[in-house]
Amino acid sequence: MRLLLIEDEVHLREQVTQQLQNQNLTVDAAADGEEGLYLGLEYPYDVAVIDLGLPKLSGIEVIQKLRAAGKEFPVLILTARGRWQDKVEGLESGADDYLVKPFHFEELSARINALARRASGWANATLQCGSISLNPTSQEVLNDGEAIDLTAYEYRLLHFLMLHAGEVLSKTELTDHIYEQDHDRDSNVIEVFIKRLRNKLDPDKTLNPIETLRGRGYRLTLPRDH
Amino acid sequence: MIIKKLSLSKRLLFAVSFVLTAFLGLSAFSLNNAYLASADSAQQKRLKNYIYTILTAADFDESGQLLMPDDLAEPLFSTPNSGLYAQIVSGRQIVWQSPSLLGRFIALPEHPGASNEELSTLELESGVKLLNLAFGIVWENEQGQEFAYTINVSEDLNTINKQKAEFQRSLWYWLGGTGIMLLIVQMMILRWGLRPLHTVAIELNAIESGDQSRLSSDYPKELNQLTQNINTLLDHEQSRRERYKNSLADLAHSLKTPLAVFRGELESSSDISHVKETGHEQVDRITSLVDYQLQRAATEGQSSLLAPVSLGEIIHKILDSLNKVYQSKQIHCQYDIQRDAFIHADTGDMYELLGNLLENAYKYGNKQVHVTVLNQLDIVEIRIEDDGIGIPDHAQQDIIKRGKRIDTQVEGQGLGLAIVSDIIDAYQGEISLKTSRLGGAYFTVQLPNQ
Repeated sequence: MRLLLIEDEVHLREQVTQQLQNQNLTVDAAADGEEGLYLGLEYPYDVAVIDLGLPKLSGIEVIQKLRAAGKEFPVLILTARGRWQDKVEGLESGADDYLVKPFHFEELSARINALARRASGWANATLQCGSISLNPTSQEVLNDGEAIDLTAYEYRLLHFLMLHAGEVLSKTELTDHIYEQDHDRDSNVIEVFIKRLRNKLDPDKTLNPIETLRGRGYRLTLPRDH
Repeated sequence: MIIKKLSLSKRLLFAVSFVLTAFLGLSAFSLNNAYLASADSAQQKRLKNYIYTILTAADFDESGQLLMPDDLAEPLFSTPNSGLYAQIVSGRQIVWQSPSLLGRFIALPEHPGASNEELSTLELESGVKLLNLAFGIVWENEQGQEFAYTINVSEDLNTINKQKAEFQRSLWYWLGGTGIMLLIVQMMILRWGLRPLHTVAIELNAIESGDQSRLSSDYPKELNQLTQNINTLLDHEQSRRERYKNSLADLAHSLKTPLAVFRGELESSSDISHVKETGHEQVDRITSLVDYQLQRAATEGQSSLLAPVSLGEIIHKILDSLNKVYQSKQIHCQYDIQRDAFIHADTGDMYELLGNLLENAYKYGNKQVHVTVLNQLDIVEIRIEDDGIGIPDHAQQDIIKRGKRIDTQVEGQGLGLAIVSDIIDAYQGEISLKTSRLGGAYFTVQLPNQ
């Protein structure tokens, strides 16, 4: 899952980026409104976290421009002023939720996951497909209650596949959503990750959790369990 | 631009002076004209009268010879160079002239004919100007012979012109004097009339320098509205300043407790996880204290100067926002808002009041939230209820108790209601809490609306 963070305060930006990356989210961080808007228009994000008081372009303007350009990913606004008038203005401009600074990181993480879930049609905090479950908060992946040990990128890949369970996802899409903007990409690596995931999720080759659609991409076939 | 900067008294002074000058000028012009016209006609009449005087005095013998007495009724005819002259001409021959002419000779070509008169101006070689009236007569003797004569009466124009100049001079003196007097009176009237404005300026200066806190109340009716509004504004500012000062002081004081707790923990505890836990707790506490006091300081409070805001519009916007944020709860909000529910209040305050109450309802409610706004005579009533688990009876009073500051409140009670209470206080409103028939909390807020 790839996230856009626009926050001008250096410490907060670095802290939040670090913490979100620790949760195995793909994070691109921007320091001002213009840079943030550029990233938001350029890359496919699953969620954006935008501070309202930004230099160059205000948070409200960034959200309005993103929405006007047809970007529909959920947006969480951060605001230092907890005034209701500001919150309403932010939500009216196209944001989906707000968080008042200072906040607990757990709260931020929970809101982000909730927004991502909502956008992809999940109701519960834990994603459950067939016998496999993934908890974005603890990053725990279980198969029939048994923990599966995944590397960071394997986890990112599975998280994205599960969020979009049932949908066909191309290799480019998968690359875009698990790698940061300036990361060295190699789409062949996706094949390797998929192969490893298949082995780890389905060592007995009975589930066939991920199918390959030649020339189109991959799909998680396990049914969503709400 | 210069006109914009002119003071009120100067504007009035200029305008009135202009009108006064124009009025006095026109009066002088018309008075002068009227005087000249009447002087001219009076002079003609006088000349005619002299002609009749001469006619009365004149006598003719049978041969048509003119006989004139030595003295005429008008002594000026007998005084040399008196300025009044007479001459009787027959054909081209002078048959008589008044002693006042004394050897002078005036050739008068005019012969207007019997019973006709002709007015003309003559200039003598000596430069003297005369106004001359010629009158033709025909005398008939008993034999029926006719003798034609022309009587000329001349008056020196200098005398007349001197009189006219005299009149004009005194006219200008009088009008000028009147004008100056009127200007002085008018300036005094202006000063007297505008004095209350001066007083306002002086009082405002005194307020600025801190010698006075508000304007006095004895102003003329026209200014009262203005001075009262200024007073309202001053009071409003005053109470806001007070609130700012208080919340600053409160903030500083209330921060001391969590800081003391944390410092104590740092000094006494060696268990790092315990220190961390206390740190978290106290940072949270400090955060909510800062939020609360900021909110308190930002509260505008009641003022009659505020424009009416639509509660319906604010509620709709907040509900739109909450429906977005609490989308997953699928809350059904039923609202009944009177269309004319307007209140003279600060928009930000109303957002804060309604936002906090509605968010509580969304947070603690299960599936249903009801909002009712009633606009009664001079009170706006807002009712917000939800179907959550509600607040137990014994806690209800505590939660809405007035003047209870957040730092003295029980933990976990939330910042929202404390802010709500403060705003209601600032508007001298009432809040009550009971249990809704939906099962949850039922808040009723009453706000006075002037």
